[in-house]
Amino acid sequence: MSSKSLNQPRKESDLYDAKKWYSAILARPEVGPVGVMLLLFGMLGYFSIPAGDFSLNPFSGEGFNALAIRNNLRVISQLGIVAIGAGLLIISGEFDLSIGSMIGFAGGVMAMILRWGFAVVIPYVSFEGGLHIETFTLFKITDVSPLLAICITLCFTLFFGWLQGFIIVKTGLASFIVTLGGLFFLRGLTEVCYRAFNKKPDQTAGSTTVTEIPDIKNIVNIPGHGELERDVAKNLPQEQLLELLKTVPEATVLKLTEKLTYINEKVAASKTLLLKSKGVKGLEKALENAIASGNEGMVATLQDKIANFKIDPATAKIVTDVDIAKAYIDTLHSARPVANFFGGDIMEPLFDWLYFTVDWNVNNYGNQFADGLYSCLMIWFLLALICYVLLSQTQAGNWIYSTGGNLNAAKANGVPTNKVKISLFMFSAFCATMFAACQVFETNTADTAKGNLKELEAIAAAVIGGVVLTGGFGTVVGIIVGAAIFGIAKEAFFYIPGVDGSFYRVFLGIVLLASALTNENIRKRVIGSV
Amino acid sequence: MIDKKPLIEINKLVRKFGSFTALNGVSLNVYPGEVHALLGDNGAGKSTLIKVLSGIHSATDGIIKVDGEEVHFNSPREASDAGIGTVYQDLALNALTSVTRNFFLGREIKKGPGAFGIMQMNEMNEITIREMKKIGISIANPEQPVGTMSGGQRQTLAIARAIYFGAKILILDEPTSSLGQKQQMEVLKTVKRVKNLGNIAIILITHNEIHARLVADRFTFLSLGEVIGSGLSSELGGDDVKRLMAGGADIGDLAKELENVT
Ligand SMILES: Nc1ncnc2c1ncn2[C@@H]1O[C@H](COP(=O)(O)OP(=O)(O)OP(=O)(O)O)[C@@H](O)[C@H]1O
Ligand SMILES: [Mg+2]
Repeated sequence: MSSKSLNQPRKESDLYDAKKWYSAILARPEVGPVGVMLLLFGMLGYFSIPAGDFSLNPFSGEGFNALAIRNNLRVISQLGIVAIGAGLLIISGEFDLSIGSMIGFAGGVMAMILRWGFAVVIPYVSFEGGLHIETFTLFKITDVSPLLAICITLCFTLFFGWLQGFIIVKTGLASFIVTLGGLFFLRGLTEVCYRAFNKKPDQTAGSTTVTEIPDIKNIVNIPGHGELERDVAKNLPQEQLLELLKTVPEATVLKLTEKLTYINEKVAASKTLLLKSKGVKGLEKALENAIASGNEGMVATLQDKIANFKIDPATAKIVTDVDIAKAYIDTLHSARPVANFFGGDIMEPLFDWLYFTVDWNVNNYGNQFADGLYSCLMIWFLLALICYVLLSQTQAGNWIYSTGGNLNAAKANGVPTNKVKISLFMFSAFCATMFAACQVFETNTADTAKGNLKELEAIAAAVIGGVVLTGGFGTVVGIIVGAAIFGIAKEAFFYIPGVDGSFYRVFLGIVLLASALTNENIRKRVIGSV
Repeated sequence: MIDKKPLIEINKLVRKFGSFTALNGVSLNVYPGEVHALLGDNGAGKSTLIKVLSGIHSATDGIIKVDGEEVHFNSPREASDAGIGTVYQDLALNALTSVTRNFFLGREIKKGPGAFGIMQMNEMNEITIREMKKIGISIANPEQPVGTMSGGQRQTLAIARAIYFGAKILILDEPTSSLGQKQQMEVLKTVKRVKNLGNIAIILITHNEIHARLVADRFTFLSLGEVIGSGLSSELGGDDVKRLMAGGADIGDLAKELENVT
């Protein structure tokens, strides 16, 4: 018989290998998704570098110019907002398929309230002049402020979220089927409402969009004119603009003049460059033809012409007082901070700096490429930050994990699991409403198709980010990365030469499957069955 | 030992399920610092008894006194508030989260408003390590997922949790079943350490006579809902225990019966 000497008592802690410094990082469930995300970043960068150019810096590609970043981040953060709601819900062991319809519904409600106001109408049966239904208007508010519109919308969406959660915990029905019902119900309801409210005076069916909402976020206070939309204000008669300029402090005028001069010079320089390259291109074409036809005298003259090609530099436009007045209107702060919070831009000073000082945020014509980033990025960031703390640090977070991880254990320890689930259904509806608010205030329109398929994208983003569909496992950081992967894949594949852009879906499908497998493996390792 | 006051007194407890009488006038007393082994064949009514004690079932008749005061439990919460901590076989643990998060599940130490309070992780980690150590298990990392712990460690975690949150009467339902030899011993050590704390009364349900012998001070044997024997560990001989555990049949008869099985 052989056995190890047991003279020295062995401890449990001896069984663990000494940890390498990187093993803690590699053991985190977010490693895989972060890797995929970096890969996609690289792809987007390198594939978007124009053919013929060579650069080791991925950020020199078109995929990372200011405007592309601005647009990409909008797609990513809008998906990210709903992915957080969907992800937390999945961690608690439930599902929400109604998110997409909820977005459409919330956007519709909000846009209709902004367009026509809000009223509570009680229908009743009347017998006067034959049996028919009359309505009694309890109250009606026209000209609803953005904040109130969002609050009223939240009343509806949170109620629907609560209702779905309530039905699921009380009846024990699968959330899949209940929220699938919600998906059809809400989308249908939205469509019906659009048609009903858009009905023309002659009762022909209305459209399923709401337009003609004023550009609320761009309403500014013009001294002497009151509140005006920025574009309207800029198109005021010249005398009035000049009048306005008189109220502007000297220092501001100077600064604006300086900036406008810079812009005009920049535009002129770009124009010169463009004209020159256009001219050279024509000559080069001719040169090619000349070489092909073997006309040596022609070749020589053309080469000479190209070498000495000169063009009169375009002259910069003079900065006029009207220009300054318009620029001043652009600098005014929105008089509707709530609308601006959801639909406006953020980080404008940074993007100004990138244009004026760094000389990077410049398009081909010499103008500023992007004014800033869409504010939905900020809303995503705020939501993510709150949820990160909530899930990882608070009692509620522990309850969410245990509700999804082992429902009976959570119940036995006094966790109000039903409340946890219902709250998360409401939170998911809240996130959908935030998504809708960003869209409505940014575009000033809404239509029934908004948010279509977003529920599935949100679930996919959460799964790619490491959330396990059976619940109890996942992190907010993972969900953020999942949304980023989803958003960036499309752009990255768009730039690959000779590859159909729709391959990004193929790619996402594979990533989704791989993530689900990895997540399940990690989960099994954690519960010790591997 | 005799002049000690019982922590929990059960007097002529009856529990009926419709016309079926699962407990027919069961009486037993459990004393602090003692392990009371509850033994009996399958269907004897052991689980039913502890379910009544822990507030899952109500008693049809009879009296339960905790610390000399009569109690009536309408929910598990009420029983645990009265100091009865039950460790079920599934242990009510979430394998996916950490030891500390499980230890404090539902009773987290936090600062801030309601459920949104921030958990005081450091404090909770310290308490978890300390309380687990008290009953014999030193854990290296309180942040490790419960899923990575051994069955015995999990049992200890559940017991430590029940004690820390004020259990004076600890009920263990077959804590050693489904465990390997070494881990069974680990759990028995834990039981012994809890007993040595001196102020906690333990009701231990088991089918394993050897385990009962190793840690129990008193025995109560149930059969078909009635107490068919009880006594101090020192008074009972090995054959008595075997006979009573089998529901009163002589072990010799059993041996004969086995021989007749072809
Ligand atoms: N909810 C119930 N409804 C009806 N009968 C029940 C119920 N619970 C238990 N019983 C019956 O009561 C009797 C005692 O059951 P109990 O579970 O207490 O036995 P036990 O001693 O724990 O057995 P085991 O050793 O197998 O766990 C059994 O005949 C069982 O069928
Ligand atoms: Mg039992």
